[in-house]
Amino acid sequence: MTSASRTVTAFMVALLVPVVLVTAWAGAAGRRLRESSSATKDVAVASASNDSYCTPTLKAIIRRVAGACGLIEGGGGGRGCQPMEAKKVAALSGDDFNALFKPLSKRAEIIQFDLGKAELDPEAIAAVEKAWSDQRGASFFFVVSRASPDGAADFNETLSRDRAKAVLGHLGEKFKDEDLKNQVGLLWLGEQYAQLGDEFCGWNRSRTAACTAQDINRSAFVAWIDCAL
Amino acid sequence: MRTPDETGLETADPSKSLDDGQLEAPSPPAFERGPLVLTGVGALVGAIFAGVSTSDFMAHLDRQVHAIHCSFIPGAGRELGESGCKAVMLSPYSSFFRESFWGGVPVSLWALATFAFLAYRAWLLVWNQRASRAETGFLWLATALPVAMSVLYGVLSVAKVGATCKVCVGIYVSSALVFAGAAWAHRKNPAPPDLSPDFGRLARWFAEGVAFVLVLTLTYLATAPSGDPKAALQGCGTLVSGDDPAQVMLPLPSGKGGEPAIEVLDPLCPACKAFDERLSASDLKRRLELKAVLFPLDNTCNWMVTEALHPGACAVSEALLCAAGLGSGPKDEKAATELLAWAFKNQESLRALAAKDEPALRQKLETNFPAVKGCLGSALVKNKLTKSLRWAVANAIPVLTPQLFVGNSRMCDEDSDLGLEFTLSKMLSKAGQKAREKVKASPRAAKEGTP
Repeated sequence: MTSASRTVTAFMVALLVPVVLVTAWAGAAGRRLRESSSATKDVAVASASNDSYCTPTLKAIIRRVAGACGLIEGGGGGRGCQPMEAKKVAALSGDDFNALFKPLSKRAEIIQFDLGKAELDPEAIAAVEKAWSDQRGASFFFVVSRASPDGAADFNETLSRDRAKAVLGHLGEKFKDEDLKNQVGLLWLGEQYAQLGDEFCGWNRSRTAACTAQDINRSAFVAWIDCAL
Repeated sequence: MRTPDETGLETADPSKSLDDGQLEAPSPPAFERGPLVLTGVGALVGAIFAGVSTSDFMAHLDRQVHAIHCSFIPGAGRELGESGCKAVMLSPYSSFFRESFWGGVPVSLWALATFAFLAYRAWLLVWNQRASRAETGFLWLATALPVAMSVLYGVLSVAKVGATCKVCVGIYVSSALVFAGAAWAHRKNPAPPDLSPDFGRLARWFAEGVAFVLVLTLTYLATAPSGDPKAALQGCGTLVSGDDPAQVMLPLPSGKGGEPAIEVLDPLCPACKAFDERLSASDLKRRLELKAVLFPLDNTCNWMVTEALHPGACAVSEALLCAAGLGSGPKDEKAATELLAWAFKNQESLRALAAKDEPALRQKLETNFPAVKGCLGSALVKNKLTKSLRWAVANAIPVLTPQLFVGNSRMCDEDSDLGLEFTLSKMLSKAGQKAREKVKASPRAAKEGTP
């Protein structure tokens, strides 16, 4: 073999090997790209929470309550639900109504008030803020306020309304959050409907002192509801 | 006229050049093969390392994630996770012409061409069993190119990328080997000095080297898959609204007055750190007015993930919001940027600390950034972080990080690494702006809180 042919042979071999390799690598990448382009891509999309306790029945009730409380556009309600209206939209016995909130035992806070009062004490303020800041993916924040059956029913209805409004007022003042009007539902129940049993004394409360059934009803139950309607 | 040479092989007349048959000074005497064999072996090893690196780079032209080789043994050590090799490959220094071609032309392709050329020259001289001093001198000079590039890339790797790549080290060592071998071969070459160098032959050898680079580059450009030009212009999906009513966005260093852009990130996500580094290294960042939306992939605060993919990300995100300021006034860009840079730098240790003891991470944040004390962990900042996550819900964006929105258009995930410059330049072009204006928001995206 002449030196010239050796040169050409070596040149061609040295050049062709990488050319063939590059062509093969590009071809393989191109084939995979075409295959992946036609494949379906499943990616989770950011969404509000919809916890396992959100059964269709619960959702239906929440929708009716939230609609009546003015949280849903076209729901027909205004901010705050009257006690009897709450009973009507929930269409449940008091115990069944309370049972709806039992899955929230870890998320809810029970804000306690003094007898005949609607002012938040420092512990109550801290508990309200703690509950509000734990929104996560929830869409609705319910404030369900009550009064113990001491005194006249009318007075207790007004008292429970003032307690709910005290919670809302503090949230508005502290967080200045535009979403309050879309997310917070107030239900004041007075003493007439869905009184809490003393088993709720074991839940997260703003006060640590011993608790009776009367104490636990001088309260506002606050919690985010993790249901996407 | 041809005569048998000392080895019995037929060769050209000793009065002629072994290389091209032209008449020239008497043929140089035989020489030691060892140095040229060393050069040839070094060039082959370098070509294998460069080939492995090019193969890994080209595998990513399918816009997917692949394991890449990261070992001092050529072709061994395939790794899927983060590695110095991956960091270097995804860095803007791994290829050229990135704005013109998806991924650009990998520098390893040119290394492959150079080593292939050097192997050709070295083994040709071994095969010929003799070489003029001009030939060994040219070979020595040619081997200086990979050495110079190795020094340059070694410095870039350490100083700019902050990572070293084992395959690259293999190339550096091969470069040193071929240089040493060629220098030795030239020194040991018993041929008499060329008193009147033949510049024509030198030019031809040089042209051969250029041909190696050109042919491989053209082959690459002709065969590399081009992808979907429409996706490059308009992206993959849009925001419902890029507005920030809850003021959760953090300003990031970028070009003021540029195209509004939003980076959805998790401060403890390695991919976000790498993306931020790639974006920062690109000149195109100056054409963006960039803001960040925090999206920690940590179930401590993010209900959309079932576990803490990046433990501590919620706490660090809170600290970032605190540093920037929770009020309605202008955000403190400097403070937020400093904290984000610190979080990126210490990601691994912060994640490990949070997985073991989350309060200790919060303590560490307060120690390193005393300004966040009193804010970190408060109801206000938790509420703000929730708002940041709900911005993602309101815009129905995918649950992943990082994401980049240019205007309201989301850059396709597969374009956010090697294709970043190409895609970003396309999205920012006039054609890209027109294409993005035509795209409407996804119908899946619902107004937040609306049932």
